[in-house]
Amino acid sequence: MKQKRKLMPYLYSVPAFILIALVIVFPILYTAYISVTNMNLYHWLDYEIIGLDNYVRALTKVDSGFLTALLTTLTWTVLNMVIQMVTAYFIALGLNREGLKGRRIYKTLLMVPWAMPAYVSILLWRVGIYNTEFGLLNKILVAFGFPKQDFLATNVPAFISCMVLNLWMALPFMITMIDGALQSIDKSCYESAKLEGAGFWAKNIHITIPAIKGIIAPSVIMTTFTTFKQFDIVYLLTMQKGAHSGATLQTVITYAHQNAFVSNNYGLSSAVSIILFFLIMIFSIFTNRGVKEESYE
Amino acid sequence: MKRKVSLFLCGVLAMGCLAGCGSDTPTENTQSVEITGSTEMATKNDAGTSDEVVEIKIWHDGDESIMQIIADCANEQLAADSIHVTFEKKSDMPDKLRMFGTDEVNGPDMYMYAHDTLGSFAELGILAPITDVIEEDVLTDMIPMTVEAGNYKDTQYLMPVYYETLLFIYNKDLWEGEVPSTTDKLYDYMVAHTDVNAGIYAVVNQHSNSYNVAPFIHGFGGYIIDKDVNPGLNTAEMIEAVTYNQKFAALQADGDYNTVTALFNEGKAAAIIGGPWLISGIKEAGINFGVKSLSDFTLPNGNALAPYSGVQSIGVLKYAAENKKESIKKVLNAITSPEVGIALANQSGCAPANSKAYEDADVAANEIIMAMEKTTKTALPMPNIPEMSVMWGPAESLLTAVNKSGEDVETAAEKYQQEALTAIADMQ
Amino acid sequence: MSKRKLKNRLQLCGLHIFYILLCFLALVPILYALQLSFSGSSGAVSSELSLLPQDFTFDNYRKIIVEKPFLRWFSNSIVLAVCTMVIAIGFAVVAAYAFSRYRFKGRNAILKVLLLLNAFPQILSMFALFRLLKEMNMLDTKLGLVIIYAGSMCIFSIWNMKGYFDTIPIEIEEASKIDGANDFQLLWRIIMPLALPAIIVTAVLVLISVWNEYVFSTTFLLNENSYTLAGGLYQLQSNDYSRSWSMFSAAAVLVSLPILVIFFCIQKYMISGLTAGGVKG
Repeated sequence: MKQKRKLMPYLYSVPAFILIALVIVFPILYTAYISVTNMNLYHWLDYEIIGLDNYVRALTKVDSGFLTALLTTLTWTVLNMVIQMVTAYFIALGLNREGLKGRRIYKTLLMVPWAMPAYVSILLWRVGIYNTEFGLLNKILVAFGFPKQDFLATNVPAFISCMVLNLWMALPFMITMIDGALQSIDKSCYESAKLEGAGFWAKNIHITIPAIKGIIAPSVIMTTFTTFKQFDIVYLLTMQKGAHSGATLQTVITYAHQNAFVSNNYGLSSAVSIILFFLIMIFSIFTNRGVKEESYE
Repeated sequence: MKRKVSLFLCGVLAMGCLAGCGSDTPTENTQSVEITGSTEMATKNDAGTSDEVVEIKIWHDGDESIMQIIADCANEQLAADSIHVTFEKKSDMPDKLRMFGTDEVNGPDMYMYAHDTLGSFAELGILAPITDVIEEDVLTDMIPMTVEAGNYKDTQYLMPVYYETLLFIYNKDLWEGEVPSTTDKLYDYMVAHTDVNAGIYAVVNQHSNSYNVAPFIHGFGGYIIDKDVNPGLNTAEMIEAVTYNQKFAALQADGDYNTVTALFNEGKAAAIIGGPWLISGIKEAGINFGVKSLSDFTLPNGNALAPYSGVQSIGVLKYAAENKKESIKKVLNAITSPEVGIALANQSGCAPANSKAYEDADVAANEIIMAMEKTTKTALPMPNIPEMSVMWGPAESLLTAVNKSGEDVETAAEKYQQEALTAIADMQ
Repeated sequence: MSKRKLKNRLQLCGLHIFYILLCFLALVPILYALQLSFSGSSGAVSSELSLLPQDFTFDNYRKIIVEKPFLRWFSNSIVLAVCTMVIAIGFAVVAAYAFSRYRFKGRNAILKVLLLLNAFPQILSMFALFRLLKEMNMLDTKLGLVIIYAGSMCIFSIWNMKGYFDTIPIEIEEASKIDGANDFQLLWRIIMPLALPAIIVTAVLVLISVWNEYVFSTTFLLNENSYTLAGGLYQLQSNDYSRSWSMFSAAAVLVSLPILVIFFCIQKYMISGLTAGGVKG
């Protein structure tokens, strides 16, 4: 009986693990396998194992361009996460204010950006907001007598434009998560705090934040990854084929994409992917440590 | 301790999978043999009993209404042979063909695309030479340039259907006076008739897209990539062309496809440099338009503008050529017949590859098609070597850097030449 | 007393103004899409500054619903999304329960490895997944896609739900355990109702990600009739030559609507689930 109980948790996890093995683990290992072959345009069907050559070549790509991309990605991740967390927290807090009527409507409306497929939103923003001729921002500028601005033509404005778009797309999820967590807090905690005369900030720092930390931790970690891996926004906004905007903003993923994937050299691009994977792993071990220090466990 | 456990787990997973991959290969081979065997039997049956309809599937990434014209016209001719052609639209078709090009069960029998991707498909080894399927004399009816475009390393892979090239399209109600015949005069006209802040433009062009700037590049004697696989982004001719194009770009709005098309269709731009694919939208917008061949414009050096020409052609996948040879031959003959060419020309303004189609009175009178035919005198077919596919990116980056980010031409030219060289080296 | 009331009312008023402004800001791009979708001009993007459509028309909607296999795409999306949701959540709830309630060898390590695996950008897995589906003979089938979607959402679901399960005090189960209830009864009768909000949120998340996914669906489904909504829409806009912006916007609005309805509906359950349970944080 005891032996059986020991096996139970593994048994429960088997179905999920089979799926994960097929869909997540297999592609990683397959990529690792291709990365030691010479599979490319000229050896498409007759590729063979050539050892670590591709890694040697891929590592030469880790040059100053790559380091800039890495720095950009880190800045991007940190800025996005901080702004996202703080904004979402206060928006969700307000939504849970006692006596606020119509919060369901607000919540639903705030979720709208989330309901659109990512590429639709991005194209919509590119044409509808940032475009020099039809974009809302330029129409407003012109209406006030300013000259037109191309927001995506140089790096800093393009970075900010991408960030605003990312926040627009990602905030609904964060708000929902924090909102859900806020509702699980026992209201009696606040009452005793009130009796002790705690102010707004004291209540937030000593009761609310510690209470929701554990619940939102997984979604925060996941969002950090998604932000780090973000490809669509930068790519579709500034470097889509036939529609380069002028900015030369590169994140780690777009850098890898541009350096390895356009060449259709699968061996080389797989090596780049694996190196990239290791980098993200190192990055996530750091994040993991950060979370653990504050964790409730 | 925990780290050790996780490392161990990773290792176990890795070993398991590598072993799996290794043992995959032999089984996979036997499987594919089996599949080919069974389909061969199936096709034999199809050919034997003529009452069963043979389906021929063609992938494309073009305009669905154009494909519909081809399909309707071809199916009419093929009905007697119990063959039916379907065109299926695939976005990002080249990427998909790379995967499915060896997958007989799910992949297409043929594909239709511009000829510049030929080299990469031919090198993948997924295409059969077209002469395996059809007799060579069918090609003699085709305009030589369009046949040439489908030839890679002395093998004819593609069957041309129609070709396209850039045109100068103008709004007759907005354009004042005659359309000039030199680019310098065109520029003067643009300066006089453009108000950027009000959103009024004289001429718009996708000024940072290398395909749309190619007329200038070639006119100055430059090239994006030559026959010996040398990128030409930092040549003196290229730099001259990019610098010349830069002053036009400043008066041509954003240069993004959607932007320039919408400007022209809304009557905010008096002229656009674009391909025949814009025509249907322009007609729908109710614009009274005229066209002029780009070879009617001369640059300051006396040369005419020389755009790229693209030939929409059909390639046959190897497995289809082996198993459905007879049906495919009939389909190819039907699609490239003068009848389809005439239908294409009259209904959608495509310039047919079959020279016999031009004997039709309506085709000969079609202003757009005649302008394109005239342009072919100076136009250059896009290179079809595989390296061309990695050149579009760096060439576009060079143009955007100069036109939009205000970078110095020579520095940018040097930078993107290097990028192009790296990309080409990465292919090997 | 009335001063406090007044202060309270003023605060609420301020909040309302804040949220109305916020919603408006968030909705500007959407309003723009709405305006476009009702505009008649053939695919052109207007250069006027206005949020009202010019020559109002339902034509774009009619075209999509009638001329494209819209209803087919719609039902494909529903089938895919619901199947994925059931499988992913079904598998993940059980696994999350095991990780939350049992202390077993390798538990922490596995949790961490899962997180690391999740770090692999899926966009890079395309070719491998193609091979996988080909070997399993599942190209161009819904089942193949469901497996891919469910697998890619599994890790997130496990992590997310385990986080909530951990906050449910174990004492609640102890009593039932003594009564001889087995794990599944515990999970079904006690954990599920208590963690309902978390499960619903996770499920909706899975649903949305499938609903909005287009890369895999346009690659692995080969027939126009088997596309999903997002995939079909992607095909609509991907072609430079025939891009019609007003039609595209109309399609975008149609894709988003069902998700919005779901959002509106689940909010009720989220709250009731929570208050009924009285979960302690």
